[in-house]
Amino acid sequence: MKTKRAFLAVSITTLIVAIILISLRAYYVVVALIVGALLIGHREFWSLIRKRKMPPIDERVRENTSKSIRNGFIFFAIATAFLMLPFSVRIIETPSTVHVLGGLFLSAGAVYLFSYLFYDRVESRLDERGLKMLKTFLLVTGISLGAFIISVFLHNAISGLFDIEEPVFFFIAVFISPLAFAVGLIGSLVIFIKGLLSKAL
Amino acid sequence: MKTRIKEYRAKYKLTQEKLAEMVGVRRETIIFLEQGKYNPSLKLAHNVAKVLKTTMDEIFILDD
Repeated sequence: MKTKRAFLAVSITTLIVAIILISLRAYYVVVALIVGALLIGHREFWSLIRKRKMPPIDERVRENTSKSIRNGFIFFAIATAFLMLPFSVRIIETPSTVHVLGGLFLSAGAVYLFSYLFYDRVESRLDERGLKMLKTFLLVTGISLGAFIISVFLHNAISGLFDIEEPVFFFIAVFISPLAFAVGLIGSLVIFIKGLLSKAL
Repeated sequence: MKTRIKEYRAKYKLTQEKLAEMVGVRRETIIFLEQGKYNPSLKLAHNVAKVLKTTMDEIFILDD
């Protein structure tokens, strides 16, 4: 954001919209809105608190802003699809499951926010090998999550269509995907925290 | 691309933060420049060289 005035305008508007949304009891939207506002303005917030002035908008930041918007959009699309899954596919209809999914969505948002806030620092402190490993682990996490969703869908579809107990996708969804997800998640977390805590190269 | 920003910074006893302030960029940008992970614009390269009282050729070394 270019000026302090623009930043203040966006902050106040966000607050007003958040208050309106709270009065409408649209809590998930409020959380999404505040997370979005923090994603956009976290550096400005931090700089205002620490130095009482706005940080410069340099050329690298300008280039990265378009990437951030793209990432934010992808996250929003995935989160929406994830939230809509129990309603559209109608796999499970119990409210507790919806709450669990909501909790997972919020946790994913928190992890995304955390990684977004600190990625610059981690990237600058990891060597090429570390960065490659981080990307590999993140890919494993993402692919296993995708494989889980696809396997659940295919297992249900095949079982429903042919009236058989389909074993392959069941095995992938119940054993392989969670295992790969855990490996990917723990691996990327270890490298991320290692990068966060190490000194600059 | 390799750079000698760190070396010149040490010569003039400048911190990354101070250099960033003088050039008008964020500290992270200086970190990325020092590690050769970011290709600066001609203007930024010129400003860095000017602040470090040298030429762009001296500071930024392009790999063949």
